[in-house]
Amino acid sequence: MTLPVFLTNVFYGLALAMNMFVIASGLNLIFGVLRVINFAHGMFYMFGAYFMFTVTKSWGAPFIVGVLAAGAGLAAIALVIERFLLRRLYGKEHLMQLLFTFAIVLLMSDAAKMIWGTDQYSVGYPPSLRGAVQLGPTIVPQYLVFLCAAGPMIAVAMWLAVDRTRWGRIVRAATQDREMLAALGVNVPMVYAMVFTIGSALAGIGGALAAPRIALAPGMDATIINECFIIVIIGGLGHLWGSFLGALAFGFVVQFGTILVPNWQDVLPYLLMLSVLLIRPWGLLGRPELSR
Amino acid sequence: MTKRLLMLIAGAAVLAGAAVAQEPIRLGAMYPLTGGGAIYGVPAMAGHQLAIEEINKRGGVMGRKLESIERDDKMNPSTASATMKELITKDNVHLVVGGLSSAVGLGMSEVSKQEKIVYISTIAKTIQMTTSKLHPHVFRTASNTDLEGDTMAMLVGKYHLKKLCHLQLDYAYGQDLEIGVVKALPIRAPDAKIVLTLKPKLGATDFNAFIPQVMAAGCDGVVSGLWGPHFVSWVKQASPLGFFDKIKWISGGEIAAHEIAGELKGEYPDNVISNTYELWYHSIDPLHKTFQEALAKKLGTNETPQWAMLGYNGVMFAAAAIEKAKSLDSDKIAAALEGLTVNTPVGKLTIDPKTHQANTGQFWGPMVKKPGKDYRVMEPVEFIQPKS
Repeated sequence: MTLPVFLTNVFYGLALAMNMFVIASGLNLIFGVLRVINFAHGMFYMFGAYFMFTVTKSWGAPFIVGVLAAGAGLAAIALVIERFLLRRLYGKEHLMQLLFTFAIVLLMSDAAKMIWGTDQYSVGYPPSLRGAVQLGPTIVPQYLVFLCAAGPMIAVAMWLAVDRTRWGRIVRAATQDREMLAALGVNVPMVYAMVFTIGSALAGIGGALAAPRIALAPGMDATIINECFIIVIIGGLGHLWGSFLGALAFGFVVQFGTILVPNWQDVLPYLLMLSVLLIRPWGLLGRPELSR
Repeated sequence: MTKRLLMLIAGAAVLAGAAVAQEPIRLGAMYPLTGGGAIYGVPAMAGHQLAIEEINKRGGVMGRKLESIERDDKMNPSTASATMKELITKDNVHLVVGGLSSAVGLGMSEVSKQEKIVYISTIAKTIQMTTSKLHPHVFRTASNTDLEGDTMAMLVGKYHLKKLCHLQLDYAYGQDLEIGVVKALPIRAPDAKIVLTLKPKLGATDFNAFIPQVMAAGCDGVVSGLWGPHFVSWVKQASPLGFFDKIKWISGGEIAAHEIAGELKGEYPDNVISNTYELWYHSIDPLHKTFQEALAKKLGTNETPQWAMLGYNGVMFAAAAIEKAKSLDSDKIAAALEGLTVNTPVGKLTIDPKTHQANTGQFWGPMVKKPGKDYRVMEPVEFIQPKS
């Protein structure tokens, strides 16, 4: 592998990682605060991409409007799901929640079929990001450069929100002791609703950002949810920078693994997850769970 | 309570007995209706239903109506096998059509072999189905990987390509198409050499690990079996790099279908030469016009998808075979299918009595821009059909 080829692949791995991070960070946030394993997250991603299609291609709105609309659309859907359904399940066992989110997957997949049919769709790149750009010794698509910049920006914004604001302190407190928080007069159900909404909006934004690069078709939710779980598990459940690191590990393993050991491309991400689970079951940046 | 239930069941059984005389002929149909395969399964099922409606309108088969029992194969071989067994044992279907993905087709063929019920494979193209895994009850009205590979190799020769990159999906269809291409190249294009073979997985959406490798290999042509969404994702990720400027993309997998051209529109790249079973804008048989108009009415769009005809032809072969056999006995239906000729929207098709393969042709040609159209069309169109 020559240096330019190597750098090209580093860049591609990074771009994949950043797109995956945006999606996985939402899943991670929801798990961290609500302790709900949201299987519908992949479906939220797919809806984000489909919203992007409707807004930018059918209605002709600009790219950025599509991204925001996808985020807002998923936030609205998530709010309805949380307020009317999910909140009844917080105290219940994990299996109930798992079954519930799985039911949401089935419902939404049928809804998608009714709204958009089963054709495959394509969303164009924004006009200013259509071409390629010389980056050091390599030539890379402009859109990927944009993704590489957007990922860390979202990560930093989330970190600031969670680590540096009063709201973030409340969210972190909710992960520790929700009874105590309620006793202090914080409206905990409202915190939960907001976290679920924001986490889901991130899935929508992730789908919208991925849309110009891929074919939109039924079933695109299926692989993404596995990959998100791999990233979250590698990084540590409920840990923001853990997900960032997990996404990077995932991106590079997929990119270089596919080139160096093509016959193992399917297994490699799982091997990565397994080895992390064996060595650090709580993930790269997570902390071992104290017995409660 | 139980006694009353028993009475009811007994009563129903008597009524059912009385109805036997007009009992419909039950045709099991399996296509993916959900998940990733639905983009093909749903239009194929629409074509299937159109054929059922047409046949029933003209009085059915042997004076009996056709009843279509439709199931989702989910493009998953194990689901498909279980569903097909249920169709046979619970719904007592007389014949099964459909099956999308070569892996599903092979699974369904295995069930057909065990249960001795005729299965007409309408989409799956793996050559194994009509060679090493052939059995008396399986038939194919789709094309196959040997035919497709041979035509692709012929096109490599036609465009004088020397240095090839070979892309195939890593499952039954891709592996068999690879064999088909490699087998035909020395005969059809002796000067061509494959310098790089890459196999993305089925369902892959990110090709960033593959695109730089192909670009670095310096190929003047790509032979590919990346179908549908795989091709679309490849185009979107490779186009910004100018990938399609210097490379001829010779592809099986029906990426010349209007479903793709009509959706990609201006994003559809240059230098693509591919195939499709049917083109709504191109007729080679008078039957095509009536078929296409009926389909357009059913689907509410004039730009009809090519997959519908595959579902349609499967039913037409099934009905003709039962009519010819004058029986619902599987062995007799199978015997009737051997050598059977049926008029289809793309002309007369005949099933080879030895291989159980219909001489189904495909339209091949370059996808070009035309003034006044915002999507690409195939031009010139060449209908390549194996000799029967």
